[in-house]
Amino acid sequence: MMEKRKRYYVNGAGIISPQLTFDDNSFLESVQEYNTNALTCITPDFKAYINPIQLRRLNRMLRIGLSAATICIQNSRLQKIDGVIVGTGYGFLIDTAKFLEEVLSQNEKHVAPTHFMQSTYNSLAGLVALSIKCMGYNNTHVSKGFAFESALQDAMMQVNEDDALNFIVGAFDESDPVQYVINSRKHHFKKESISSLALFESETVGTIQGEGAAFFSLSAKPTESSLCRLIDLRMIFKPESETELKDSLDQLLLENGISISDVDIIISGASGDVMNDKLITSFCNSLNSIAQLRFKHLCGEYCTASSFAFWLASSILKKQTIPESVKKNDFETPSVIQRVLIVNQYMGRNYTMILLESLVA
Amino acid sequence: MSKRIFITGFGIITSIGKNAFESLDSLLKERSGFGSLDILQTAHHHTIPACEIKLEDNDLHALAGVQPHMGFTRAASLGIIAAKEAIASANLSKKEIQNSALISATSAGGIRELEKYYYQLKDNTQKGAFEEFVDTGNPGEHTERMAEYFGVKKQIGTISTACSSSANAIMLGAQLIKNNRVDRAICGGAEALSKFTINGFNALMILDPQHCRPFDASRKGLNLGEGAAYIVLESEEAMLESKREPLAELLGYANANDAFHVTASSPEGMGAYEAMRGALASGKVDPDQVGYINAHGTATENNDLSEGLAMQKLFGKNMPMFSSTKPYTGHTLAAAGSVEAAFCLMSMKESFIFPNLNFKIAMDELNIRPEVTLQAKKNLKYVLSNSFGFGGNTSSLLFGSV
Repeated sequence: MMEKRKRYYVNGAGIISPQLTFDDNSFLESVQEYNTNALTCITPDFKAYINPIQLRRLNRMLRIGLSAATICIQNSRLQKIDGVIVGTGYGFLIDTAKFLEEVLSQNEKHVAPTHFMQSTYNSLAGLVALSIKCMGYNNTHVSKGFAFESALQDAMMQVNEDDALNFIVGAFDESDPVQYVINSRKHHFKKESISSLALFESETVGTIQGEGAAFFSLSAKPTESSLCRLIDLRMIFKPESETELKDSLDQLLLENGISISDVDIIISGASGDVMNDKLITSFCNSLNSIAQLRFKHLCGEYCTASSFAFWLASSILKKQTIPESVKKNDFETPSVIQRVLIVNQYMGRNYTMILLESLVA
Repeated sequence: MSKRIFITGFGIITSIGKNAFESLDSLLKERSGFGSLDILQTAHHHTIPACEIKLEDNDLHALAGVQPHMGFTRAASLGIIAAKEAIASANLSKKEIQNSALISATSAGGIRELEKYYYQLKDNTQKGAFEEFVDTGNPGEHTERMAEYFGVKKQIGTISTACSSSANAIMLGAQLIKNNRVDRAICGGAEALSKFTINGFNALMILDPQHCRPFDASRKGLNLGEGAAYIVLESEEAMLESKREPLAELLGYANANDAFHVTASSPEGMGAYEAMRGALASGKVDPDQVGYINAHGTATENNDLSEGLAMQKLFGKNMPMFSSTKPYTGHTLAAAGSVEAAFCLMSMKESFIFPNLNFKIAMDELNIRPEVTLQAKKNLKYVLSNSFGFGGNTSSLLFGSV
């Protein structure tokens, strides 16, 4: 028996990133260039979203995350949120490092608990629940380059269980200097300093470090503010070949009754790393589509960077326009942008695909 | 979404035993893992006791069957040891493993190794074997290690919701099966003791320098522990097809949030109540049918009060037998949910309820008391297991006998 296909609507978004993205009135018309290999968020005035007493107690990423969640909830115009699901790759690394350094440098004496408390991976999901008094489902996924997709999948399954519920699904990761130094040993980041906007011209190994927090509301029912529909997603751990990616995509398309020619735009998670980009670039080029976009020159690379792509895709589907700054090749914008496929990779190990559909037609 | 989920295998390693057999023996003989910290190099060696696994990393590597100096953290090694036993007890084939989900939980992951090599890792002029640990500050790293070791391809995931993590990992596995993403899921959690965690909990002043006393009026805090446990979940169809005997059924589960405070539970235990009520509702089991509750019972003032009040409120006059097994294993944090799920499976199979060690004086606020001696209990039909954590996360699992 065929199960009735479930629908998932993205009813609002809130995102704080290294670009000016928290203001819904702008859409990457002008972009920020970075020359440090580490991109950091352009933040709003937090006081607009967080009360002053609470604000003082929160670390930078909790402020960013809570503000992004608040913007998302405001944009979604929802009366009630039934659950909060968050994904993060490394969590609050800056507080983790601060606490660790305190423990090590003071030889485990007179250590204060502040950084420890704020380094807990689930502290953002807990804080968001606390601030909106949401006693429902609450989860935090920390599955590296799958973390955001795992959170999305979790929300999809919760909606399947009860289609009256509204969830907010988010992701965050931060540009942390310690991670930068340590992971540079594995050539995660480029040795030479580059301009972020020239990321895809670099032709060297390594990428640039990025960060951001993004939240989306998801439910089985559309609202007036809906951005798009999430069709389905896939996660592929360490694919051995392009065929494995192709098989996974074919299955995703088949299960949802869609052909690759129905996909208008592909957003590639190429990261400017000449080694790690080989497979994803070849795969994206092999797909029957002319329009390819890239985004990591704008937000940098981090475990949950696909949440930036998710915002980009859902905004494109809603606004039916494509910012020049993300176009990879020259193409004519289709008269109606129906479907966007995000293909992401993290450090050549975590590959994901997310398919989104417009509500315009 | 009415698919039935069965448990067909489990594996466990904690301070009271490196496999299910040893663990059961310790539980029956009331043997605790409590003692001084000898393996972890810490300034608190004499001052903060814990429930430590008395095996060096090399011994764990040997047990796990991995090469030393290949960057397997203590957490990853513990995870492999327990998951290996779970896979063997369910007798999963290579192909079944490949097509399973592996969902693991941790709160500290490989922080033990990050803290050990922190300054070396940060100084890029230094080279050496420690470089194998470059990414162990990432909580998902241990799951990827495990997936590579076992050859899991279909779905991998890591959960971190503090002390409720592995209960949520089990729930996620069940959801993946119900949604036809996989037929089988290997779910649990792994946690290794670290200076990071010990000093964090010490700074929060919730560690008892004595052996912990859950639900006792004199309780002063928790003892930390380490370990890992995994259970194998299968859809009814997959289980029948593979002709496996189920150990139990995962009848229900619920995840809620207290939405009260960053690290404390609400005094009246709203989240705890919601989690237990939700688990029973999803399993269509009435409170008076429950035979035993493996309580979260950390022995902190806050947890035991709110959990106790929540249990009283939900069960009223029909309060089932309950106990916290934390005095045996210490609080294994993210692994606690799956460790205690394993104990619940043992209770159902062996018809015993394991005692709440160290309980003497009832709390003024409660009129319920945990079991203090080993109880023979035949036909234990429904068992509830609680896991609550920082960030307001509360989860309950409901197991049914088969």
